[in-house]
Amino acid sequence: MRQFIRYFFCVLMVPLLVSMVFGTAYAQNHNSDLECKRCHSCDNPTEDSPCIHVCPTKASKHFTSEHLLSEAPDTIVLDHIMKQFEPVRFDHKSHAKMSQMNSSCKTCHHYSPKDRIPPCHECHGAEDNPNNLRQPSLKGAYHRQCMSCHREWSHDTKCVVCHLSCEEDAGFVSEADSTDIVGISHPVIAVPTVKIYHTPYKPGPVVTFYHDEHVDLFGFECVDCHIDENCGYCHDLSHPDNLVKTEEEKHAMCINCHQINNCGHCHDHKRKPAFTHASTGFPLNRYHNQLECRSCHPTRKKIGKLDSHCNSCHGGWNQQNFRHSITGLMLDENHIEWDCVDCHPGNAYDKPDCSGCHDDDISMENGLPGEYIIRQ
Amino acid sequence: MNKDRRKFLKMATATVAAATILPSVSEASLEHCEEDFDNAFGVLVDTTVCIGCRNCELACDRQNELTDHPKSYFMDNTVFDSRRRPSVESYTVVNSSFDSSSTDNKSFGKIQCMHCNHPACVSACIVGALTKCKHGVVSYDAWKCIGCRYCMVACPFQIPAYEYKEALKPRVMKCTFCYDLIHNDKKPACVESCPVEALTFGKRGDLIKHAHVKIEAAPNNYYDHVFGENEIGGTSWMYLANKDFINYDLPKLEEEKIPSLTESIQHGIFKSFLPPLALYGFLGLVMHSIRQDKKKEEENDEQS
Amino acid sequence: MTNSHEVPTPINVKYFSKGAIVLSFLTLIGLCGYIYRLIVGLDASTNLNNQFPWGIWIAIDVASGVALAAGGFTTALLADVFHKDKYHSLTRPALLTAMLGYTFVVVGLLADLGRYYNVWHPMIPSMWQGNSVLFEVGLCVMIYLNVLYCEFLPILIEKFMGHVNLPGILSRYNSLVESLLRISNRTLYRVLSLFIIAGVVLSCLHQSSLGTLMVIAPYKMHPLWYTPILPLLFLLSAISVGFPMVIFESILSAWSFKLKPETKTLASIAKYTPFLLFCYLSIKLGDLAIRNAFGYLTEINIQSVAFVLEIGIGVILPMVLLFQKSKRHSIKYLFISACCIIFGILVNRINVFLIAYTPPFSNDFYFPSLIEVIVTVGLISGLILIYRFMVIHLPVISVQRVKFNIVTDTPKSKATIKG
Repeated sequence: MRQFIRYFFCVLMVPLLVSMVFGTAYAQNHNSDLECKRCHSCDNPTEDSPCIHVCPTKASKHFTSEHLLSEAPDTIVLDHIMKQFEPVRFDHKSHAKMSQMNSSCKTCHHYSPKDRIPPCHECHGAEDNPNNLRQPSLKGAYHRQCMSCHREWSHDTKCVVCHLSCEEDAGFVSEADSTDIVGISHPVIAVPTVKIYHTPYKPGPVVTFYHDEHVDLFGFECVDCHIDENCGYCHDLSHPDNLVKTEEEKHAMCINCHQINNCGHCHDHKRKPAFTHASTGFPLNRYHNQLECRSCHPTRKKIGKLDSHCNSCHGGWNQQNFRHSITGLMLDENHIEWDCVDCHPGNAYDKPDCSGCHDDDISMENGLPGEYIIRQ
Repeated sequence: MNKDRRKFLKMATATVAAATILPSVSEASLEHCEEDFDNAFGVLVDTTVCIGCRNCELACDRQNELTDHPKSYFMDNTVFDSRRRPSVESYTVVNSSFDSSSTDNKSFGKIQCMHCNHPACVSACIVGALTKCKHGVVSYDAWKCIGCRYCMVACPFQIPAYEYKEALKPRVMKCTFCYDLIHNDKKPACVESCPVEALTFGKRGDLIKHAHVKIEAAPNNYYDHVFGENEIGGTSWMYLANKDFINYDLPKLEEEKIPSLTESIQHGIFKSFLPPLALYGFLGLVMHSIRQDKKKEEENDEQS
Repeated sequence: MTNSHEVPTPINVKYFSKGAIVLSFLTLIGLCGYIYRLIVGLDASTNLNNQFPWGIWIAIDVASGVALAAGGFTTALLADVFHKDKYHSLTRPALLTAMLGYTFVVVGLLADLGRYYNVWHPMIPSMWQGNSVLFEVGLCVMIYLNVLYCEFLPILIEKFMGHVNLPGILSRYNSLVESLLRISNRTLYRVLSLFIIAGVVLSCLHQSSLGTLMVIAPYKMHPLWYTPILPLLFLLSAISVGFPMVIFESILSAWSFKLKPETKTLASIAKYTPFLLFCYLSIKLGDLAIRNAFGYLTEINIQSVAFVLEIGIGVILPMVLLFQKSKRHSIKYLFISACCIIFGILVNRINVFLIAYTPPFSNDFYFPSLIEVIVTVGLISGLILIYRFMVIHLPVISVQRVKFNIVTDTPKSKATIKG
């Protein structure tokens, strides 16, 4: 009887144990709901020959990991399947940048493992694969990636938009300058300056949006506001259909920065004037005027209110390191020795009141603590 | 009515009845050149991929030497403002989908001869100038043709065009499936030229499987139907789309083969020539018996 | 019975009457159109296009032509097969109409064929295409045409037998030809009944198959006409139009040749027509009901109007008229009903081949061109002219010898027709 139990134990438990050990090893690399065949092409993958699918199959198609924009190459020359046309110089960088407004790299790279992004021709052969009708050949792969977006906004499927013909007598004149890639495939985008929306919001139907201010003045990148955008929104200005957005979508673009509860910030009865810094209560003098917004408001998206006291920015200035002449007034010998607060008490750096030192009737040579080098 | 006459009529009726029953037992020798349709060639058109570049039209034009239009002719996108049909100048045309009023859902579809499994044109042709045989190609022999244009009447896809302008040797013009190319293991010119590979060339059976895999993989992208898989008994060219196929000028069709009705009527009437012969015999008997009756009557008259 | 007195005779009238001159003129124009079509091709002469490959040359010249030539076989069936001897006087005109009708069907078809010079192809066994309805129609029409010629041959022989008089040097063969004619006459007389039955069978086959032609286009045909029983309807309508056609031409030629119309015989033969029409109508309407197609009549479009025209004027009106015995015995009403029926069949064939043909994807539409119309009119005029020629020179129309002289008095006969 005991022998039987031992025997039973061996027969049953050993495989169980073995499978448990291997099972945990398996679980380290695999999710439990993953099918073997999804990654392995053979029935019994081993460590030596894991027979992992090289390229995306139906199941692993959207197997992507995030990659940085900075890794992206600038230009890629597509010359694997030249027949009728010259190689295409593909402006990868700007496309990669634009892709940030959408699904980033995976907009095009439907298979990008962790360590690297394989080039298209690694999977897609020059000839199509008769055993896999699903996989387009390289020609189809390229064109599908490009044309699925391009045709949507350019409404043009002419080959010469991207290609230069090899043939001399192609029967048409190529519109392209081969060196100017952006010029070929990307008509210059007409960036709007001011947009005025007439909304149904009664208390303030008019919304004025200074697009140029946000880009040029505030230094926003496109992706800061344009999230999940389709190509046509920027490229296809001739077809206003594409520009239609829902109320939520419209507000979503602004409320990342602007507070939703302050309707009056955007909504008004009439067109709002362009932004002036004076409207914030801090008119910029000629020095401040020359500054980039970002040098005072360094935070990425939010441009917050700053303390308007000079000290809040210029706290490090004192009698030794501040050249007073930069204000246009060069202090004379009598005054240059004074401490700043002696003339400008209480951090008020406007024109000082001299009566603290000088009696009313004391007459100065020219009534100034020095000499103007620049006429104000 | 005398007995003889009655007997004759009875016999005649029996002959007719027998003649109508017999043919259904004996099989007629007139049969199609039957094909293994799964192994015939076919093309799957994925209209959701097509970008409307008209390269297929250009390639078809050059391959079949149809016109001498310059390349630029095929780059004119204003043709999509109207709906075109295949003609003597173009075996295939690309149309934008019917409902593409807004630019967002603009999609395109190419039409050409579908190379049906059971082609109505082949069944209709009076001299067998149209045949369906090797590789599933429906081919046309201009030498046999008498120019009756019944094939054009019969085609449910309205594909064959006619060279009306030719005074002496007009031909029926339609897609040839680039027979010479596919016979030499190449792809048809249009398939070869498609930049986005919206056209997949292969064995019809494989294409059907492939089409269903595509639909299954992206059910939101596709209308769950492969046009041409079963329509009128199946076609060599098949379509995938994300909306009703009527938008691509493909008619709504049942699964019943088009020629089956006319052919069963035909073969019913003509099986082994029995029904006509039976009618002939019946009328002969009637004529004969009545004549005998009349003679007898006359004799009786004379006697009386 | 007056049968024994009625013998087919050539009619002694001047060939070129006013009407004949007008018809010759029309024929000449038609001939020019025909030659023009042969030279320049179909594009320049017709309005046919890729979506509408068949026009009036098929619908009128061929389909209606075949249907209206049905008088030949229906009369033969009645008079020869069923031995209704009183109608024997009608067989020869009907036969002549059928023969000429089919000849002109072929002539009209040649105009429509793109490669008319290949018209013999269906006869070559290597090109036989047993699945094709058109092949059957073509072959049947061809054989039937020959049968008709054979049936007509005795009339020609009758004309020449006994007084063969070849001109000039050929006159030495006079006796030879004479004996040949005698032999063929004797043989023909023996086998004539075989030809007559063959004619009936062939007619039934191709009259019905003409309907099957359009059954192959289910997705292009308007549901008011598309039915699998189209062949039956075509056969029935062809049989129905047979006698009215005989009546029509009998009255017309009586009027033209100033003869007394054979009112009694015509009224008698007309009594079959309303029953045939009733059969046709009930099957047609029953089929519509089964297919649930009556709804299309509530839409007001060219199809529904054409259908109502076809049924209302072409079938119901003459059926109602001819069911009444008094109307049957009035030449006026006989003629009117015959015209209605012929009109109905004509409209029906045009409807099936043109009006019902509505391909779903087409930018074009079809309306006959001037050349198409003049060729069709020319063909019909030519047919009437040859008919007139044959009737004048060959023993076709039976005239009561006794009354012959009286009837040639013009005013009286005119009054008879109108009354």
